Amino acid sequence: MHLLHILHRHRFAYLMLLPGLILSGMFVFYPIFAAVFYAMQDWSGFNADIKFVGFQNFVDLFRDPIFWNAFGRSIYFLAGTVPAQLVLSLMLAMVLNNQLLKLSNLFRTMVFLPVVTPVAVIGIVWTFLLSPFNGPINGLLLDIGLIARPIDFLGSSDTVMPSVIGVYVWKWLGITLIYWLAALQTVPEDVYDAARLDNCKGLRLVVLVVLPIIMPFAVAITLITMVSALNVFPLIMSMTNGGPFFGSEVMEIFIYRTAFASDDGTIPRLGYAAAAGVLFGLMILGLTILQSLATRMARRRAEGVA
Amino acid sequence: MTISQGLSRRNFILGSTAGGALLASGAGAQTVPAPINDVTGGATFRWIDSGDQKAVFFKKLFAEYAAARDVNIVYDPLPWNEIARVIPLGVRNETAPDVFVLPRNTSLADAVAQGWLQPYDDFIPDIETWKAGFPTGAFLPGINVFDGKTYGLPFTSNKRYSTHLLYNKDYMEAAGFDPAETPLTQSEFREAARKITEAGKGRYFGFILGGSQLNRWQDAVRNMGRMAGASAGGDSPLDADIDLRTGDYVFDSDEYIAAVELLIAMNDDGSFFPGLMNLNAPQARAYVPQGAAGMILQGPWNIPGWEAGHPEFDFGVASGPVPDQGPTGKLTISQAGAVPNTISLWAGSDNGAIAGEIFHYLGTLEGQVAWGTVVGAGDPPIMPEAIERAEFSPRSRFILNHFNEAIRVGPNPIVRNADLAKVISSFTAPDIGFARTVQGLVSGEMTGVAKEMKALKDRYNAALDAAFDKARTEGAQVDRADLVFPNWDPDVDFAAADY
Repeated sequence: MHLLHILHRHRFAYLMLLPGLILSGMFVFYPIFAAVFYAMQDWSGFNADIKFVGFQNFVDLFRDPIFWNAFGRSIYFLAGTVPAQLVLSLMLAMVLNNQLLKLSNLFRTMVFLPVVTPVAVIGIVWTFLLSPFNGPINGLLLDIGLIARPIDFLGSSDTVMPSVIGVYVWKWLGITLIYWLAALQTVPEDVYDAARLDNCKGLRLVVLVVLPIIMPFAVAITLITMVSALNVFPLIMSMTNGGPFFGSEVMEIFIYRTAFASDDGTIPRLGYAAAAGVLFGLMILGLTILQSLATRMARRRAEGVA
Repeated sequence: MTISQGLSRRNFILGSTAGGALLASGAGAQTVPAPINDVTGGATFRWIDSGDQKAVFFKKLFAEYAAARDVNIVYDPLPWNEIARVIPLGVRNETAPDVFVLPRNTSLADAVAQGWLQPYDDFIPDIETWKAGFPTGAFLPGINVFDGKTYGLPFTSNKRYSTHLLYNKDYMEAAGFDPAETPLTQSEFREAARKITEAGKGRYFGFILGGSQLNRWQDAVRNMGRMAGASAGGDSPLDADIDLRTGDYVFDSDEYIAAVELLIAMNDDGSFFPGLMNLNAPQARAYVPQGAAGMILQGPWNIPGWEAGHPEFDFGVASGPVPDQGPTGKLTISQAGAVPNTISLWAGSDNGAIAGEIFHYLGTLEGQVAWGTVVGAGDPPIMPEAIERAEFSPRSRFILNHFNEAIRVGPNPIVRNADLAKVISSFTAPDIGFARTVQGLVSGEMTGVAKEMKALKDRYNAALDAAFDKARTEGAQVDRADLVFPNWDPDVDFAAADY
């Protein structure tokens, strides 16, 4: 009765929530539950031959070396992109946050430009830039005598992951830069003044004064960047399609290939792909929980310091 | 929708008018399908296939047919990876196009079993007479005829292969070879690639292939291996890479191993186009007329495309590489119709009458000649007489003659035991299949060709045994011995009497 009373009293607010709730239900909650359901089926996804297999798909996944390789590559991608993206963008943000720097807005825009460019366009353009046949990057390296033969950046498993990591960091540097700039705006001007009076500048100013203040943001930014780095499907699809020979097949490509784009002669395994998706989702969920815990801890520490 | 059996007065007038209009306009060989059914005006009819040169024919045909019959035709040529998504989803959501080609991983038998398709016998009057006009092996029980009903239309010939040689004549002459006169042996092929690369000095390279498109690796090795003497089929899980005299896979044969080693050696020579591993087939094909690569192993569909799009490009066509010693083996096909082009009528379609008229036309000599003239050697018509009568460029005719010489119809296990269709639908190729293994070996991701090809054979044997087991649990009377035809001679066609 009490609940009904509350609902009635705030009916307008709940009515406003309804469209969002319906949309979330359709496009977020339903797919989540459906994925868990399909993960327990042996099903190709396109015929009526669907069989409940319990946790068999998960058991098979744990024994599948291709799955673990894809998992490992996702972690490799994470380790390759996140620190580089965080450090580079923080350095840029420090520079661009300087009010005295003229053209700061122009530089910010330039760094941000790749962020708003469609991923597929970036992927295709970089494929041409990195091409060993008439690609400008190889041309430059050959001209300056750094290499004797063109490097097949995207066609060799030794170079494909570092190449894709490099493009990814370049593409998303701007977004992390914006996060850092927002964080740096929270550092009061009088703190800088006080530091200056104490003759604290350069790296010491950053490490001893700025970083402790923006630490709660740093934790959040790190984890947002980590979660983003696990969502690289369009970039890798447009650049390498997961190849050569699984060389850049991260988890998302593994899921996609298993569910929809199986090789000639193999039948798609939607149930198996759904199981991989559920595992991958749990991994991202774990990271998100870590994020909230770490943010809370950092905030408490910051409050303790204050 | 009611279907008239025979020619109504209305249809006769419509047909005569359309035919007369075409005659008056002097339009080329292509005519409008004869009105054999009652077609409801204003209907919307949808058709999906894999496009390429086929799209040129169908766009023109459909525009003329739609105008003559007052219907709307929506034609969507799609790449195979999209067909693999769009068709299954469309069938499930009941929004599939009226007519479509099946995704590559779905056999006609499987699609019929799943209830995706309806037979078109009722939409073609006197269908048996019409079917009699097709060559032997076009309509086979278990392949496209199920319970006496006809499901897929095999209107293009399966007598072609996708890895014959296309080359830049200038580069090849400079290298000192003439493959049109004498097919290159495997060693000469390697040598030509090396010499062209040397002459290119970084501006062009000896050999190109769409290395990110996995099937290109598989097809190159399969066909070089078979031409070198490893007799095996290549059409379905029941015959692909299986020597049907013994029922064994030939992945670890000397011929297949030599073909993989040849590709590895050419890569080591530096004869591969740089970045080849990251190119798909259309990208690789596009580089040849630009002069960036001297040779490609590809299919006949390039010929009309290059002749029209790059009239200035002087290229030659020839047999794929043949063995250094000994006779050249024949390539085996298991049925007369080309599987990827086989079109089917969706179970949920209300436009069977329209499909029937178009299917009927594609199965007449007139339609076949029109098809051959427009589409060219890429997808030759299934009727040999149509190939004789259609207009082809000299290159196209050369390669069609070569196909006739190089390809033979082999046994089709399903014809002897229709239950084997269940094995096809139960078969799942290993995750690291033939194509990936070759790509892995050539790219250096895998090492030890003989060891890996033996492991590949073991994986396929396990997969095929599992498919037989599954089919048997579903009631099929099948055995691996069903794949053995001791009387098969790969050099001659396997006729109905040989089963």
